[in-house]
Amino acid sequence: MILDLHAHSIKSDDGRAKVQNYCQWIRTRNIPIDGFVLTEHRQFDNESDYGELGREYGLTILKGSEVETEYGHVLVFGVTPALQAEFDFANIRLPLRQVIEACERHGAVPVPCHPGRPRVGMHAHLAEHGVPEGVRIVETLNGGSRDEEDSIAQAMASQYGYRGIGGSDAHIVSHIGRCATRFPHAIHNEQELVAALRAGEFEAVTFRT
Amino acid sequence: MTIRHVSEVEFGVELPVFEPDTSLDNVRRFVRAAHWDGPRFTDHDAARKEGLPGALVPGIMSQGFLAAMIHRWAPDALIENVDTVFRAPVIVDEAYRIAGVVTDIDAAAGRVEIDLTVTNEKGETRVFGTATVRLPA
Repeated sequence: MILDLHAHSIKSDDGRAKVQNYCQWIRTRNIPIDGFVLTEHRQFDNESDYGELGREYGLTILKGSEVETEYGHVLVFGVTPALQAEFDFANIRLPLRQVIEACERHGAVPVPCHPGRPRVGMHAHLAEHGVPEGVRIVETLNGGSRDEEDSIAQAMASQYGYRGIGGSDAHIVSHIGRCATRFPHAIHNEQELVAALRAGEFEAVTFRT
Repeated sequence: MTIRHVSEVEFGVELPVFEPDTSLDNVRRFVRAAHWDGPRFTDHDAARKEGLPGALVPGIMSQGFLAAMIHRWAPDALIENVDTVFRAPVIVDEAYRIAGVVTDIDAAAGRVEIDLTVTNEKGETRVFGTATVRLPA
């Protein structure tokens, strides 16, 4: 099963895509993914239920978040009400240690995203803050990467033994599925996604042309 | 193909690719006309002294290119909105490719939504956004 683990809808301040249009695009263009995770900036979307839309298009649509720390942006998978009570998702200066420890307590998985990107990626902050403890997975393929950003991410992952996921970081409809993550088994919900990530059974894949 | 009516538009159709003229001469003409004249747009060396990678194509000029592409495709389209996110600078004298693709159609309202991207020669997205246009029924 292939899921795009990093996408934004109009719920994000810089997102321009409606979720239904993502689905239409995937099916019309035969994008080879089975679903995607909506990781809205600095929030968790507690309101939307995409179950019916997913069934209509035969896609798995899950929800996560993208929060901001002193090490840059971090995807969070497996968000629960208890996790949301642990820290303010809207805070743009969250301590990464706090995010990682809260995720550990509540069965969620933190993943620094576009870590090779200047300013908002983890690699840019290693010299100042040191190598953070508790990071196990980083995003090694990001559909919005420029220059050598993915290479930097992959070199960092190799150096520190991190596993890598892929995500499109789509903000507009036509960017969905440019990068994704392949899992060996079907994933139907956020709990199964977290279990698969914790098991380390996945690989980053790219469909960029 | 030139589009005249919303009924001619299909989801996923690509607008003809547009390769804008980002030459220094053209940018100079634009910024003078727009009263945006300044060395960061018209002088590579001066722009580099400001820490930029080179002279910049102004954002409003990039938006003009996007609008021009839409009107080449649909000359009668009323552009209601061009909403852009500038992820990286567009540099004077470098080659870019502007692409558009239809991602939503409201036939009853005559409204079409278009994804827009400005990419460089390496295929990196420098600017992305959406446009909403209205077309006759």
